[in-house]
Amino acid sequence: MTNHLGDIQNAKAIIIFGANPAVNHPVGFGHFLKAKERNNAQIIVVDPRMTKTAAKADLYAQIRPGTDIPFMYGMLHLIFKNGWHKKEFIKDRVFGMDEVMKEAEKWTPEKTADVTGVSKELIIQITTAYAKATPGTLIWAMGLTQHTIGSSNTRLAPIVQLALGNMGEEGGGTNILRGHDNVQGATDMCCLSHTLPGYYGLSKGSWGYFAKSWGVDFDWLKGRFQDEKMMSTKGYTLAKWYSGVLAGKPGEDKIHGTPLKALFVMGNGITSISQQAKVKEALDNLELIVLADPFVNEAAILTDKQDDVFILPAATQFETSGSVTATNRSAQWRSKVVDPMYESKTDHEIMFDLAKKLGFYDEYVKGMLMKENKKEFTFPEDATDEIARIIKTIGLTGWTAERLKKHQENWHMFDEVSLRGFGPMKGEYYGLPWPCWTEGHSGSPVLYDIHRPVKEGGMGFRNRFGLEHDGVDLLAGKGSAPAHSANKDGYAEITAKNIEEVLGITLTADEKAKIGKNWKVDTSNIIAEKCMEAGIAPYGNAKARAKVWTFPDPIPMHREPLHSPRPDLVKEYPTYADKPNHYRTDTKYASVQNEKDWSKEFPINLITGRLVNLNGAGMENRASKYLAKLTPDMFCDIHPDLAYEHGIRNGRMMWIHSPEGTKIKVKAKFSYSVGSDRVFIPFHFAGVFQGKDLSDRYPEGTAPYSTGESANTVTNYGYDIITQIPETKGGLCRIEKA
Amino acid sequence: MSEYARMKFYCDDERCIECNGCSVACDEAHELPVGISRRKVITLNEGIFGKEFSTSVACMHCTDAPCEQVCPVDCFYIREDGIVLHDKNTCIGCGYCLYACPFGAPQFPKDGAFGTRGVMDKCTMCAGGPEETNSAKERELYGQNRIAEGKVPMCAAMCSTKALVVGDEQEVSKVYRERVASRGKGVQSAPYGWSTAYKN
Repeated sequence: MTNHLGDIQNAKAIIIFGANPAVNHPVGFGHFLKAKERNNAQIIVVDPRMTKTAAKADLYAQIRPGTDIPFMYGMLHLIFKNGWHKKEFIKDRVFGMDEVMKEAEKWTPEKTADVTGVSKELIIQITTAYAKATPGTLIWAMGLTQHTIGSSNTRLAPIVQLALGNMGEEGGGTNILRGHDNVQGATDMCCLSHTLPGYYGLSKGSWGYFAKSWGVDFDWLKGRFQDEKMMSTKGYTLAKWYSGVLAGKPGEDKIHGTPLKALFVMGNGITSISQQAKVKEALDNLELIVLADPFVNEAAILTDKQDDVFILPAATQFETSGSVTATNRSAQWRSKVVDPMYESKTDHEIMFDLAKKLGFYDEYVKGMLMKENKKEFTFPEDATDEIARIIKTIGLTGWTAERLKKHQENWHMFDEVSLRGFGPMKGEYYGLPWPCWTEGHSGSPVLYDIHRPVKEGGMGFRNRFGLEHDGVDLLAGKGSAPAHSANKDGYAEITAKNIEEVLGITLTADEKAKIGKNWKVDTSNIIAEKCMEAGIAPYGNAKARAKVWTFPDPIPMHREPLHSPRPDLVKEYPTYADKPNHYRTDTKYASVQNEKDWSKEFPINLITGRLVNLNGAGMENRASKYLAKLTPDMFCDIHPDLAYEHGIRNGRMMWIHSPEGTKIKVKAKFSYSVGSDRVFIPFHFAGVFQGKDLSDRYPEGTAPYSTGESANTVTNYGYDIITQIPETKGGLCRIEKA
Repeated sequence: MSEYARMKFYCDDERCIECNGCSVACDEAHELPVGISRRKVITLNEGIFGKEFSTSVACMHCTDAPCEQVCPVDCFYIREDGIVLHDKNTCIGCGYCLYACPFGAPQFPKDGAFGTRGVMDKCTMCAGGPEETNSAKERELYGQNRIAEGKVPMCAAMCSTKALVVGDEQEVSKVYRERVASRGKGVQSAPYGWSTAYKN
């Protein structure tokens, strides 16, 4: 999220792709409503379903699932044709827009209408309304990301904003709504298989930096892995870990590396991940399953495995303290309300005990002792300070436990719309949104904002991909540096070598001795401190890349979902070739898409999403009788016309069949929110599998008030080409009366 | 609160998003049986663009409360601040109040195979009942008495978009007036339900 929720009140137009904040972020949605109320902002919703968010919109386009790229190119076509783009901004701050312009030429309103299913009049109306009201903010969530082309979707949306000059502006930006509390923090801290914490890569250099920062020997770290190659190799993803277990079985995707034998799950609803039948099979074939959760993780219910399945009672957030990171990169300290109840333990206690048993406890906690060279650590304060000491890439240096606690204690001293502090918090933004370069930095509420100085949260785009490409300068143009800067133009990321030249300063011999190689590994923080004085962003001032020359699609291109209802368009916009060794597993694309014309047997689009009263896999909510009573049964939103064709009545049971050969039995709920070519199902249920009730498997006294089929038993195969996120928002199904 | 405080509810349907935060907060706060819904969110024209709207409904604490007028045992009483309460020890569970209420506010326990029986339960605007204030008995029969503690009723306190507003009518009117002026369009003659509930 480049801006923040309060800043949405500054927008003059709000366009939402594949997000439903009225349901998933009800409190945050208040800011959208205030923008409409106080700022006369138009809310525009582009979604396959008439959501609760769309109910509050001024304009709504019911798009065919998986056609966001055509829709956005359709917008760009009109923007460029009418000259609504910000030419100076593009020239100075964007690389590769010319190729986007060329592609956009093809997407006339007629063409866009044919592919997306939205009338050309509405496309023109939406584009005109959005392009003419600046600043405009662009919102998205999982509806945009969970596609085989999800990574391209998430690139074209910022390109729309770059074209309109909406980046780095209050009331503008690309604002991605994180789905759970602390998802941003989990990502920043690397609950991922392809980076180290803070998005440091897996190179030897990065491992070396962490070894040094953790006070352990690099060779000792290396010894924890099978070999050095494994250290630098991406792991399995949450989406496709099952392949790691089912490795080698006939019909399963091949794996590269060793098969998985044990699974340790800490607070993750793996019964809400696509390919539930495969997940179940994988669970059945593991040697060991450990599930640590405040509620029973329903993976234990789904599996037929009887032995070596352990359910550990983990404490809730109310029974521990520490910082969490909000969707807008702000940190918030959280205090403990009560001690852990009964025999439950906090997550960190569980991890400390595990580290002790596995024999690396001393190395595991050493990083917390190093700042002050202590004998004993205090958790979580010293862990927070360790993070602040090490993570430079996203600027967490200023996030000391002391500062974060002060923000929590003074949270009434901040403005809702600007996040600006008053009184004791003057000069700081709430939660010190990263990058927070130094221990005195204000935090950065709006990314890429060059209207303010760096020490007050200003910055250009990061210089991350070299100084030039194909002979084109990748640094920002003349005069496009953050306000009050010693260097008014583009500049490279700051290193020990170029610091004196870029900042126009001379370092003392002492500083030269202490300074790190570059801003990312400078634990002395001299680079950042000097940069603040000179108004320079440590990560450089470069152009945003519209073109990524290392990706399969250097500029985002439309490709039909693997299971498309439009075989004619599959020919025109085919998917990628199968990808070998994608996060250790071979991943299928073209071979699935070309296997047959899926739309003949499975003519209906299947969309999944959330409900307001449940979240994630839903166990903790379904264990509340008051939340469960709002939606006591798993259901399917179906248009009465479609239901009639299949003899399905409102409130009666129906089957949904998937191309995977799986099926679920759910209650039909007549709804006009979907057209007669698609159905919607929520993904928070578990405890019933392909018509079989598993509720006798819950340990005594733990069964939730409601159980039901998991939507992800019938979502289709398909994974993003870069991130491997599953394609849950653009599949097909067949329905019948049960 | 002014000397002439008159407590009212108001749900701004421009802001209500059917999140049900109000109804769940009410259920939890008063530990209600699952069959009782003191507060409900109603959505009309669901799924139809431009026509769907939601609003939260509970007892409106009417000026000229029809429930009070039809009650054969006179179990209702109206406080000086306008909050309409009833005495569960007097109520005979006849259901007349339910027929008389324009908002469907009165609730009856839904137990057993033969439907609804037992004494009536309804929104108290978090003001308890005739028992001793904040006593265990009051809590058991009527739920929390937040008004006596100087707190906002739970539903409005939990409302995610601050669609649901409660308090002295002058304050509620002020909030509503500001929103209408700010929107500069779509001015209603009165918010939903007001003309029925508040006759003067």
